[in-house]
This record gives sequence, C-alpha cells and structure tokens, in this order.
Amino acid sequence: MADRKIIESTLARTNLTDHDLANVAYSPTAVMPDVRVVKIGGQSVMDRGRAALFPILDELVAARKEGIQVVVLVGGGTRARHIYSIASELEMPVGVMATLGKYIPMQNARMVQMLLAKHGGLYILPDDFEKLPLYLQLGCLPVMSGMPPFGYWEKREEGSRIPPHRTDAGVFLSAEFLGAKRAIFIKDEDGLYTDDPKKNPAAEHIPRISVAELKARDLPDLVVERVVLDYLPRARACKELQIVNGTKPGNVLAALRGEDVGTIIHA
Amino acid sequence: MSNLVSGDGRTHIESRLMRESLQDRRVVAGTDSDRDVHIFPDAALIGIGGQSIFDRGKDAILPLVDEIAAIKRDLGKKMVLAVGGGTRVRHTLSVALDLGLPVGGIAQLIGAMEELNAILLNTLLAKHGSMPMQRDHFWDLPLYFSSGILPIAISIPPYHFWEPPPDEGVLPQHGSDFGLFQLAEVLSMGQLIFVKDQDGLYDKDPAVHADARHIPRITLAELLANPPPTNILDAELFRAWSTAKNITRIQIVNGLKPGMLTAAIRGEDVGTVIVKEGGRG
Repeated sequence: MADRKIIESTLARTNLTDHDLANVAYSPTAVMPDVRVVKIGGQSVMDRGRAALFPILDELVAARKEGIQVVVLVGGGTRARHIYSIASELEMPVGVMATLGKYIPMQNARMVQMLLAKHGGLYILPDDFEKLPLYLQLGCLPVMSGMPPFGYWEKREEGSRIPPHRTDAGVFLSAEFLGAKRAIFIKDEDGLYTDDPKKNPAAEHIPRISVAELKARDLPDLVVERVVLDYLPRARACKELQIVNGTKPGNVLAALRGEDVGTIIHA
Repeated sequence: MSNLVSGDGRTHIESRLMRESLQDRRVVAGTDSDRDVHIFPDAALIGIGGQSIFDRGKDAILPLVDEIAAIKRDLGKKMVLAVGGGTRVRHTLSVALDLGLPVGGIAQLIGAMEELNAILLNTLLAKHGSMPMQRDHFWDLPLYFSSGILPIAISIPPYHFWEPPPDEGVLPQHGSDFGLFQLAEVLSMGQLIFVKDQDGLYDKDPAVHADARHIPRITLAELLANPPPTNILDAELFRAWSTAKNITRIQIVNGLKPGMLTAAIRGEDVGTVIVKEGGRG
C-alpha cells in the first residue's frame, strides 16, 4: 500500500497533542489592536426603542468623529427569547436553536445600520471581516450581528437547550480575534453590584472584579454568557470585559475613549 | 397573536423566556428535555480521513471510490460523505503558528485544505451521482436522497475567526472530526462512520508496537476514563459527544481493506465500534 505523502513541517509527524506542541514557539499577533469592539444589547437596549438607542448611537458617532475605530455588534432580545421558547417546546436540537438565534441579532444590526448609514454605518457579515481595515480607514461604522457563525455546529451544554454561544460570546470572540484588549457591552445597568440595587438600596457598585472572584460568588445568574467567563482567562488578547450603562449620557463615549466606567471583569 | 408587554421601558413579546436572563441556570433548565426531534435518523455520515486515505494517493483513494459507488448502487442507503484535510492542514498549522496568527485566523485557514480533497472525491464520484453540498444546505438532503444524489459535505465547522481560545495548547479545538460529529448529531443521523487506515482503536499505536491490541468495541465512558495514547479521532469529538443526545454509536473502519465500509454500512460490527451507554447503539 502506498505510504502517506507527507509535507515536512514542525507538526507533520505529531499527534497534535500538547506534548508535541510544547516546543513550538507561538506568540500571536494582534490583528487590529486599536479597534473598539462594542455590543449594543438586545433586551437591554434595542427592545427599549429610540429612547435608549438614539443617545447611544450619538455617542458612537461622536467617538468615530474623534478618530476612534469602532466595530458595532448587536444582540437579540425578546424576539430571540420568543423563538427559543417555542423551539425548545418542539425539542429542536441546540444547533437548530443556534441557527434560529442568528436571525434576530441580524434584524437588529440592520436597524442600527439604517440609523447609522448617514454617518458611515455599514452592515457587514462574518465573511466581510477581512474587509474591516478598509471600512475603518474610510471612517465607516461597521455593524454586524453579535451571533457567532457556529449555527448548526453549536455544541449542547448540559441541562440546557439554549445555545451557549450567543451574542456576548460573539462580541468577546470578535475582540479576541481582532486583538482588542477589551470587549465593551452596552447595557441598561451600571454593571455589577454586591446585591440587586433595585431591591437593596445599600447594594454597592463593583467597578472591577476578576473572573475568579465572580465565579467564587457562584451566582445562579450572570451578567454575561458563561462561556465568555470560561474563555476570558485563557484569551491571548482580550483580557477584559467592560459593562457600561448606555442609558446614562456620556458613559458610552467614555468607554470608547478607554476610560474605566461601569464594571470591568478581568481575566 | 402574541401579546406585547411593556411597562419596564422595554417592549417584550410574551413567552416563557420573556424578561428572563438566558444566563440563569434555573431559567434555561426549563428549555431542556432528554430528546431532540429527529431529522434524518435513517441516514449515514461517512467521514474519509485526510492523512489516512487521501495523503496516500490513488492506491488508497480509487478502491475506496469504487466501493462507495457499489454501496450506493447496491444498498440504497441514504449517505452523506465528507473528507478530512490531512498533511496540508498540518503544514498550514505549522506555518500559521510560526507567523503568530491568532487562533481564529488559523481556524479560518484550514478548511480550504480539506476542500481540495472534497473536489478530488467529487470529481471521481460525479459519474455515480455525487455533488458537493453547500455548508448548511441540509434541507436539500431529502431531494438529494430521493434523486440518488450522494452529497459531499464540508467537515470543518464554521467557527472561523470566532474559534474560542482552546482549553489547552494553541491549536483550534474544533476540527473536522468534531465538525462531522456535530453535523451527524444535529441531524440525528443513524450512522456515523470514520474511514481511516487502521482497523480502529488500539491500546497503543499499532504502527510502533507490534503487540498493540485491537479494540473491537468500547464505550464512550471507558474511552474518556482511559484514553488511548494516540487517538485517531480528535478529543473534542468525544467531549462534545459526552453532552450530546442523539448519536449513540460511532464506528471506525479501515478504508484500505476492501469491504469494511460496506460491512459497516450494513450495520456489522467491523473495525471499532464506540457506543454511548444508555443509547440505542
């Protein structure tokens, strides 16, 4: 029988295990380190309509005019919850759920693009990612769905039919690939508190917390998707998540300028 | 007509998940059940190895192509084919690591190498009715099956630039073995068969150890508890399988031995059969 015709390389004859890779030098480059990757929340912003969205868009445009390079990703919200609810009753596989989950953030991204068009808003697809340098150098504001493109290939998480990688994961992974140090999440809250501030007036705001500290609290609910907290400690570029309150004027612009507003969750 | 609900500044559509956090374990638990709707339970997915078959050239490829054509002609089985990339993938990885490309960039690159093998396979099988299938055009499959078309699917999953930072090491975690598993899992296909250049799993590498013992049948739990030192399928496939619901049996057969794939398609226990306990395998 003919032998395998092998191209010689460092990995040609290995099993691709860590043992084999221990001596492979690897220092990843930051693809576009100056880009700010920012998410507009679905339920927290888009479902609030113009009252919440318009001031945020004004600040995105203001940042762009200051020369800050911004890539906008958009979340899903209540329509995503509605389709997940019906699809889970029908016992749809997680990969089908994730595919259904692509459509609402796409609609929301298109809405944002229409509103930003006169300021250079550009709707882009995952396949357009390699054109970002052009769009940003032209002064555009690229807008895309936050959903990562896993779709039917989304893995199941034990005890849930909801896709574990949704728009928070897409925002974090976009920032990580582009080499941005921080992924910014615009929501309708100032970030994390020691308790629910709506119920406990003594609850204190947490400006900065590590993933380990956050996980140690073992909260049944979290401010971002769980997978993002799993990935953050092993990220190469994006070591911080920033959660800012888009309903408070000035916060979004401050975050885009690199200021520590809201809550920062770090690796 | 669904009810629209407001009052907290947001407009909601009434649903079980309305206003809820999808990060809340108590909320998401209500979405789960112990089964998925089954989509193509009588179809088989056959993954043909890149290194193990295609890198060996025509002596390995042509007899296998003849066998696949005969299976299609004689058995009337609903089948989807897919291929791996092989040594060109490893070369790509070596160069990309040396250049310091981020893991998502590496993931974006490697799919092209298996696509070359898919084109070769389709060129050889076209006269028997094969056709490349677009990425996720699964809903064309009933048409393919009823028309006697043999689709060739894309193995590498579409994680691309969004490949997550790996658990361990520096390489993309979601490769073509995982991609094929996930394709068969989401479509709840009845058979998933990997065609390689050895009879399946061994307790040690048979290419190095003459006394390596063949494993005809093993459970997923046994395999995860005591993984063989050299596994011919990616670890991520087994991790994903351990939380999956539909696939209960994966078979690895030797594509260099005529008749093995045919026997596997017929449901015979040739090669190595890996079963998930509690399943129907």
